[in-house]
Amino acid sequence: MEVQATYLERVRAGEWEALAARRDKARLRKNALSSALFGGVGAFTILLVFLLLAVIVYKGAPTISWEFLSQPPKEGMSAGGIWPMIRGSLLLMLGTFLLATPIGIFGGVCLAEYGERSRIMRLMHASVAALAGTPPIVYGLFGLAIFVLKFKLGVSLLSGWLTLTLFSLPVIVLTTESALKTVPSALIDGGLALGLSRWQTLWRIALPYAMPGIMTGVILSLGRAAGEATPVLFTASIYYSTAQLTLGWETLRQPVANLPYYLAEGYRQPGVVPDHLIWGACLTLIVLVLLMNAAAILIRTCARRRYL
Amino acid sequence: MMTAAVATPAKTAIRTEGLSVSYNGKPALKSVNIEFYENTVTALIGPSGCGKSTLLRALNRMNDRIPDAVTQGKVFVNGINIYDRGVNLTRLRREVGMVFQKPNPFPMTIFENVALGPRLHYGLRGRALEEVVEDALRKAALWDEVKDDLKKKSGLALSGGQQQRLCIARMLAVQPRILLMDEPCSALDPISTQKIEELIVELGKQYTVIVVTHNLQQAARISQYTGFLMYGELIEWGETRQLFERPQRQETEDYIRGRFG
Ligand SMILES: Nc1ncnc2c1ncn2[C@@H]1O[C@H](COP(=O)(O)OP(=O)(O)O)[C@@H](O)[C@H]1O
Ligand SMILES: [Mg+2]
Repeated sequence: MEVQATYLERVRAGEWEALAARRDKARLRKNALSSALFGGVGAFTILLVFLLLAVIVYKGAPTISWEFLSQPPKEGMSAGGIWPMIRGSLLLMLGTFLLATPIGIFGGVCLAEYGERSRIMRLMHASVAALAGTPPIVYGLFGLAIFVLKFKLGVSLLSGWLTLTLFSLPVIVLTTESALKTVPSALIDGGLALGLSRWQTLWRIALPYAMPGIMTGVILSLGRAAGEATPVLFTASIYYSTAQLTLGWETLRQPVANLPYYLAEGYRQPGVVPDHLIWGACLTLIVLVLLMNAAAILIRTCARRRYL
Repeated sequence: MMTAAVATPAKTAIRTEGLSVSYNGKPALKSVNIEFYENTVTALIGPSGCGKSTLLRALNRMNDRIPDAVTQGKVFVNGINIYDRGVNLTRLRREVGMVFQKPNPFPMTIFENVALGPRLHYGLRGRALEEVVEDALRKAALWDEVKDDLKKKSGLALSGGQQQRLCIARMLAVQPRILLMDEPCSALDPISTQKIEELIVELGKQYTVIVVTHNLQQAARISQYTGFLMYGELIEWGETRQLFERPQRQETEDYIRGRFG
């Protein structure tokens, strides 16, 4: 005669293994289910990204050659290379980097230092977070209204730098702030106990500690800026002009060709620029942005290895 | 209530007068009067939460860091009340160094960890700086272990015990005369603990050393003077040997007997 022992009887009999076995089975089932779910979704996302990349590489790779990368367009842009666009994009990035990094870090430091105590700073934080989510076209129009027209800088490299700087600032400010917040307070205590002032502790201890995180933020936000056409659309861009080929002080006041704008225009005016050139430029831009992101990761791992 | 020391053996380096600290209005330290002597190790003992760290942090005004903390009373360092208006915190902390319970080396090389203080405070560079760093590392009994990769290795790559000695060296390099240590061994293994204990005894010959410890045997081993705190009150203080062998107060006796079993 077999009677199912009740739960209480089993507990009293000390059948711990048998009790555990049931839970183990349930746990295994749940693990399998969540692995499948997350694994599936993850794999799908990765697949999608790879598909996108694969198409661009497939279409763009045949065009890539030293000549394509180093020569200006020829024959009314229907042939030749895209060097002026690459150079323009690099110029835009360089100036933006030099302007946005110090200003953004300074802003992040202010928010991290005074953010919690003052209401104005909390408001600033909220505003910066909102700006980080503002669509790039808004920056483009702002740059047009203020830098191009009001300050009479014209459609120029300079206006592009200023607009892109505004565009990348919010992300730099926010990453600087959050990187500074990860600094252990034991380190700050250590600095203050040595007699360092608040600012010395910040510059000598907190900022170096947070620097890898800050630089990651800087590069990621520049990468984003590099790929956006709309902030530079009305402020800095020109499709192509032969004046592009010399560099000098006057370049600052002249518009520059750049990759995103070239792509947008080239696509908008069908028949002028042949498809294979567009795909090649597309691949070049993606590689540029990926290289920047790779640099960010490299900086972070190197810094971590150095400190730990 | 207070056990006056027998003949004062040395000059007083720090003296507190009615020192009270409260957090959010809750008293953590109640009107403490104690003296710490030059070239002497004083241990602070007592059950956890009795206010040992609070007392220590009041001596170099690290409690200023805690917005909820309110300090009353006086602390005299070199005859100056450090809670007076206009006291220069940098100068105070140059004079009164501190080591924490958990080693907290900065994320930089061993050399930079020690060099930071003297470089910023005294503008030292080059050979002078290197000599000061070496001297501090020797005093902290760490020099022989790190001299070969001083400028290559991060302070964080050291073992826990070495990290704590690095923090001691970092403090010494600023040339303080009073050293505060808050349970400096509680995060360390027995061998590292023994090294730090030996180091504290050695430092006690040249500095005013104040060590918080929850380990009574340790207090007995390393200190000449001991203060016993309970519920934020300084129950008694005096020569270590006397406090352990002939405590004046019942609470002290109970605590010591309870701990020694
Ligand atoms: N930052 C703080 N905020 C509020 N209360 C605190 C703070 N630090 C310590 N306390 C309280 O003050 C009392 C004494 O703490 P502490 O000085 O750290 O004791 P000990 O070091 O002897 O263990 C405890 O009751 C503790 O809860
Ligand atoms: Mg404590």
